Parts: sequence; C-alpha cells; structure tokens
Amino acid sequence: MPGEARFLDPAIIARLGTIDLKVRTIVEGFLTGLHRSPYKGFSVEFAEYRQYIHGDDLATLDWKVFARSDRYFVKKFEEETNVTCHLLLDVSASMGYGSHGITKVEYGSYLAGALAYLMSRQRDAFGLIAFDDAIVSMLPASARGGHLRATLVALERLKLGKRTNVAKPLRDLAAAVRKRGLVVLISDLLDEPERVIQGLKHFRYHGTDVVVFHVLDPHELSFPFDRAARFRDMETADEVLAVPSSVRQDYVDRMQAMIAHYKRELGLAGIDYCLLETSQPLELGLMSYLMTRRKVL
Amino acid sequence: MFGVAFLSPLFLLGALAVAVPIALHLFHRRTEVIIDFPAVRLLQRAPVEQHRRRRVRELVLLALRIAALLLLAIAFARPYLASAVVPMSSPLTVVAVDTSFSFSSPGQVAKAQAAARSAVDSAPASHAVALVSFGDDATVVVPPTPDRRAAIAGIDRLTAGFGGTRYRTALAKAAELIGAREGHVTVVTDLQQAGWDANDEGGLPDGVTADVVAIAGPRVNLAVTAAERRDRTIVATIQNYGSEAAKTEVTLRMDGKVLATAEAVIAPQAATDVRLNAELPASGAAEVTIDDPAGYLADNVRYFVIDSPDALPVTVIVADPAGTTGGIYMERALSVAGNGREFAVDAVDGRVFSGWTAEAVARRAAVIVIGTRTLDRHGRDLVKGYIGRGGQALITLGPDVDPGTLADLVGIDLGVTTAAVRPAGGSATMVASDARHPIFRPFLNPSGALGDVLVEQYRRLKDQPGRVVLARFSGGDTALAEQAVGQGRVLVFTSDLDNQWSRFPLNAAFVPFAVETARYLTVSRRQAQSWVLPGVPAGTPAVPGVIAVGDGAGKRRVAVNVDTRESSPAVTSKEEFTAGIERVSRSGTRDAAADARSVEERQRWWQMGLMVMLAALAGEALVGRNTT
Repeated sequence: MPGEARFLDPAIIARLGTIDLKVRTIVEGFLTGLHRSPYKGFSVEFAEYRQYIHGDDLATLDWKVFARSDRYFVKKFEEETNVTCHLLLDVSASMGYGSHGITKVEYGSYLAGALAYLMSRQRDAFGLIAFDDAIVSMLPASARGGHLRATLVALERLKLGKRTNVAKPLRDLAAAVRKRGLVVLISDLLDEPERVIQGLKHFRYHGTDVVVFHVLDPHELSFPFDRAARFRDMETADEVLAVPSSVRQDYVDRMQAMIAHYKRELGLAGIDYCLLETSQPLELGLMSYLMTRRKVL
Repeated sequence: MFGVAFLSPLFLLGALAVAVPIALHLFHRRTEVIIDFPAVRLLQRAPVEQHRRRRVRELVLLALRIAALLLLAIAFARPYLASAVVPMSSPLTVVAVDTSFSFSSPGQVAKAQAAARSAVDSAPASHAVALVSFGDDATVVVPPTPDRRAAIAGIDRLTAGFGGTRYRTALAKAAELIGAREGHVTVVTDLQQAGWDANDEGGLPDGVTADVVAIAGPRVNLAVTAAERRDRTIVATIQNYGSEAAKTEVTLRMDGKVLATAEAVIAPQAATDVRLNAELPASGAAEVTIDDPAGYLADNVRYFVIDSPDALPVTVIVADPAGTTGGIYMERALSVAGNGREFAVDAVDGRVFSGWTAEAVARRAAVIVIGTRTLDRHGRDLVKGYIGRGGQALITLGPDVDPGTLADLVGIDLGVTTAAVRPAGGSATMVASDARHPIFRPFLNPSGALGDVLVEQYRRLKDQPGRVVLARFSGGDTALAEQAVGQGRVLVFTSDLDNQWSRFPLNAAFVPFAVETARYLTVSRRQAQSWVLPGVPAGTPAVPGVIAVGDGAGKRRVAVNVDTRESSPAVTSKEEFTAGIERVSRSGTRDAAADARSVEERQRWWQMGLMVMLAALAGEALVGRNTT
C-alpha cells in the first residue's frame, strides 16, 4: 500500500506505554499526515479559507469566494458534532492470537482507542461495548469531557473471553440503539458469516450506519506453518492433525472465500467492510472510519 | 499363581520389555507439536479427533502392545498347570494292559478293559495312576495322574493291536514311570507263554509290588503261518495250536476275488501244507485266509506277494568264452533259477572284463571266477576292489586259474598249492561239512546226491584262520570254503566247475549246487517281499497287509504279516508269571523336570499364548491404523 511506510508499525505502537499515549500517537500522526497526504477534504474541523494550490480537490473550491474575489480558495470545514458512535470490540478467545508481537485484541483495542480519540476531538458521542458470546462490558455513548479517559481505561482493562458469538450481542445492541448513528464493529468474525451479517443488518433496519473492521493476523491469511502439528482451536479446543503443506491451499481458499463473502454480503447490505491485518498500520482503520462518517453526515 | 508354573521362567524377564511401550506412551507423545490457532474451523475436518477419545484410543493401543509383549514372554517361558504334574513323591499304580494280537479274539478286549477299570478303581486313594498298553512295544496311554476318570477314559480307548506279547518291555515301561517312588503294577494279560520268549529286557525295581489279572483266552487257535507261490500253486501252511484235530476252510484271494478254496484237517499241535491251485497272474499280491472264529483273528490271514523279484546280475569270468570250456555249465545252471528270472548271467572272458569300470563291477550281485588266464592286472584289481568293498565272489581253482595271480585277484593269499592233486583211486567224492548250510539244503533229501559227484583233480588249500570249510572231498581235503575278505566274502571251490577236472557239471547235483551257491552269495542283494511285525522300517504302518515301498523304478510290493510266534495260546500260571519278573535296581531317571516337560508338552499353552499375541498385534494394527 503506497504511503503506508510513513505510518507506525502496530507492533511498535504496542510497545508504547499507556493506551492513552498509543492512541494519541496514532491519531496525531494520522492527522498530521492528512495535511500532507492526498486525503485532503477529510479534515474534521473547519479551519479557514486557504488559497488554492495545485493539486487541491476542485470539489473543495469555494465558488462564491471565487465569484466575489476572482481568486481560488478552498474551504476548510468546521463540522457539527451530531454522530453517536458505538464501538463494538470482540474480545473472544480467538482474538488473543498474535503471530508477530501484537494480538488481534490488542490491535482492536488500539483501533477502538484511536477512534475514540478521534471522535472526542470531533466532539462526537461514543460508547464502547466489549463482547464474546455476550456483552461483557459496556460503556454507554457520551460526548462529555472525561469520557475518552474512561473509555481508554476500559480498553486497557479488557480481558479475553470465551467463544465468539457476534450475532447475539449485535441483536441485543440493535434493540437498544434507536437513535441514528454509527456502529463500528472490530472483530475477527470467526463465527457463522450468515449470523454475523444478519446481526449487522438489524442496525441497518434502524438506519444506523455500520463499519466493520475485520481484524486478522497475517498467519490466519497465509497459513505459513511448515511442520506437521496438531492445531487446537482457541475457542473450542477441537484439534486437527494437519500437514500444512497439504492443507494450506485449501485453508487459504476457504479464508479468502469467507472474506469475499463478507465483503459482498455486507456491501449489499450497505455496510462498510474493512479488512485489517494486524501487521498493517492502524491509520488505515481511521481512514476507513472517516470515510464512513462522512457518509453519515 | 493360579497353579501355573513355567518350564523356563527366566524368559519372563522378557516381560520387562513392556517398559518400552509404556515409556513411549508417556514421553513420546509430549513431542507432538500443538499449535493454538483461531481458524481451525477452516482446516479440513476429516482428521479431527476429540482429545478424550484419542486418549482412550492410545490407552487401548498401549494395553494391546503390553499384552502382546507379556504373552510373548509367557509363551517362551512355557507355562503349564502345575497341578497336572503328579509329584514324584506320590505313590503310583501302573496298570499295564496286554493289547497284543492274542486279544483279537472276540470279547477279549472288553474283558481286559473291565479288569483294567477294576484295577484303577481299586488303586489306593493316595496313589496316582498310569495306564500302559503293551504288545511288541509299551506305550504310556495315560501318564501318572490323580485323575481316575482320565485313566478310565484311556482304558476305553484301548484296542487289540497286531504285535506280539513282550512282558519285559511292559515291566520296563512301568518301572520307568514309577522311578524312585513307591509303586504297584497290575498286569492285565492272557498270560501267554510267548510273552517271555522275546529277547527283551526289563523288570521291576525292588519294593514295587505286582499282581496279575489273567484274562482267559481261547484254548485253540489256527493260524496261517506261511504262504508262498510254487510255480502255479500257492502253498499255505496252517498250524493247529489246539489239543484236538481241527478242520478249516482255506481260501486264496486276490484283489478281493476268491481264486481257490480248500479244506484242511490239521492234527493237534501240528502243521500242514495246503495247496491251492489257481490261474495266477505274473505279479500281484494275494492273501490266504482260514475260518477260525474262535481263535485269534489276526493270524487267520497271511498276505504274500507273487511278483518275481528283479533278476540279480551275476558275472562269470572265464578264460575263453568261445572255447569248449567257456563257463557254459555255470551260465546254463544259473539261467534256469527262478524260472529263468532269478539271475541275469553274463559270461565274459578276462580281456572284456578288464575293460569294465569299477562302477559296472560294483553293480554285480556276485562274480564267479572260472578262468584267469586272460585277466590282466587291471581286471584282477577290479575283482579285488569289488571284493574289498563288499562284493561276493566264487573262485574255482580249475586248470584255467593261475594260482600265482590269485593273491592279486582276491587281495589275500589263499594258500593254494600250485600243483593239482589227483586223489587216490582216480576220483574223490564231495561231502558237506554242515548239511544245514543254505548251499547244501537241497541235498538233505536225498542226502546222497552230492556223493555222486566225482572229482578227478583239485588244488589243495592250506588251513587258514577265519576260513570255514563247507565241504570236503573224500580224502579230507577242502572242497568248498568260505572266507571273509575286506568287506566282502569269497567262496573257494578247489576243483573245476567247467567239466575239465571233474564231471560235476554233468551231475544232477550241479544245478542246485550252482543255484544255491549263487543265492547264498546274493542274499544281501535280494529285496524282501515280506516283513513280519514288528520288523518293519520306521515310518511304515505296523499293520498287516500289502504295502508299496520305494518309488520310481524301485517301487515294489511287500507283504506285512503278524509274527505267528504269538499264535500259540499256551499260557503260564500267575505264579510262574510273578516269579518270572526280574528285579532291577531303581533307575530314578525320571525327575520332576521331566514330568513337568511332559505335562507342558501335553498342554501346549505356549501355542495358545502365541495365537492370542498375534490377535493382540492384529488388533493393535487395526486400532493404530484408525488413529492416523
């Protein structure tokens, strides 16, 4: 991915001190980068009119000013904060897997924290729900000062749970969320795809926008093992004795088929889908979020 | 434990090998790599196995492997049920039952079985019992056991055999079973006198008591003691062992078909020849039977073979076969023997014979030397080697024989005078030294036949040790002598057999003399056409009848018959029997280990152990295959 190199490696982020520091590093770096990046127009605060320079998006030109002054200015937005965002973080046992210094649940926590930080700066209300096969912790959505701090503390205290059951907590939450807003699901989606998709569709019925961050470890995508071993499921403890060289292709095909299925079905349901490898920079998640938020507004 | 003992308990140490599968079970499985992985549900599901189920399977595998190793060790240790071994210290009663063919008359075996059962039942409670059956041999039917039912079951299996009675053999077997312990022997027998006649050995140790249960047998018995072909007639010899004259019908059968019958009246304690005239084929086997239902059944039939045996090759060495004295008399005399089928005679001169190989000479059943003048050194060496390796030769000392080369011919100095002797009166007659000698048996009647033989010249033989004179001339000089040379035998006739120094070849006695001499020389090459039990080769069923022996060109028929010495019903008394038991020292050779071996060999649990082990291994392979 071009430009990825300028973002911090998630494994390095993981080694930073508190989650507060981590998310601040991620978001500030992300915002700074935005000013130099091709992603102009995704700014979250109105700052000023600025003279057009070559390369700016023409859509951001203020034609009224041009009419008055015959000069090109692009406008910077200061947007109203009216979005309520629910961060759903999967803490099932399978999220504890990590092959290169960072687990999926850590990655998900940083992403949730960064999003919360970003939302806080946008003065959006946000809440946090952690679940495995049921909701294990819930921080109601709020835009008050100090809520970010509470959210980050809650993220830092999360513990891995049991089996994944995405559908059930989604159903429970969909019933509770009546106000139009944004739901962010961070999960490895290792559940029955149809149940997951069905659960997310409940939000769409209420007009809630949904963005799904599908967090997977690189090893889950490529299955790079080379030695015959007994693979034990982290949630069910089922075991499979397998020779990787002989089952790899089949596994990768199945995984890709599952991803493609999610992408297709969620797209049809109007749900944004973003696949994140834990080796990829978290800023990609933030970018995806901003694009969805923009759609909401 | 459980009364099980082992012949080779050291092999049980092999059971320690079970530590190997146990160690592998405990440690080897730790090396298996287990990887926690979140997306196992996307891996192929076929090999999935629940951990608990797998554990049970592994335990089953372990149990099967341990069982296989344990069974292997146990099988090698040779287990047996120790309680089946009667301790050597416990007293023993041996019941020895006579199953010779004298028990073949109706009802005799049943009587013997009843008496044996009674003997077992009356054995002291503290005694183990053993059952021995005897005829020509003694067989342990039931080894020492405290189980009376086993002994009774053994008695129920007894049948009459075809052997003779051998009391000493039975007593020796009983003594072997008793060994050093206290013992008692009960002999169930018909007390035949013949049972003591055999030249066997055996007795009971001192201290071993004995009693006899007499089974009364028939007082009369007729037996076919011989049957042979004489030209177109079968001559059967019928013996009457009773004290009164007996009449019976004699039948000749061949392939089940009756060829001839005759009625015979036999005087008491006498034998008679019965001639059965019938059209007989050139070869085959036949049987002569008599009707004697009251006597012993086994001797009511005699099997015999009417095949002509293969002609025996005999070579006559002459000085000049084309001459007037070319061995023609000897050749003609032997050619008529056995209707011309007994000998294959070839007369050759010394030059031809010298060209033969040693192998060709060795195939001769006998060599007759009438002339040596044309026999060169090689020929003489052939004769010498033939005799030295077991050959049979007749040397005549007529005018065609050079006394100076005889030593080269025979291999030893025969002590022959060079000059011919002319008897006083112009001729000498010949007299057999022992008329029972096989060569002279035909001259027993009329006994004077040899006396008509007139010999005009002969050579004198000096006396030598080891030489047997079979006939002398009227002057006392040796006429025919027998002498062993090397592994062979030489007969020396000191005159001529070619009508030069004597008119013997023209005498009526010449043909029987020549034939019987040749038969005497070739007797070891003759193939028996009949055997008498128990004198059959190992592996041959000891049952009367006609059997085929040999294979290929050497295949022939042999008749097997019972030994008619057993046919005499003459009995001894209990007292005489008891007195006849020889007392011997205790052998004590049977020890506890031998008993244990015997029991183990009977039980053969090791075989069962190996079979179960193989089943365990098969199960292990099956379960192991499913695991992977």
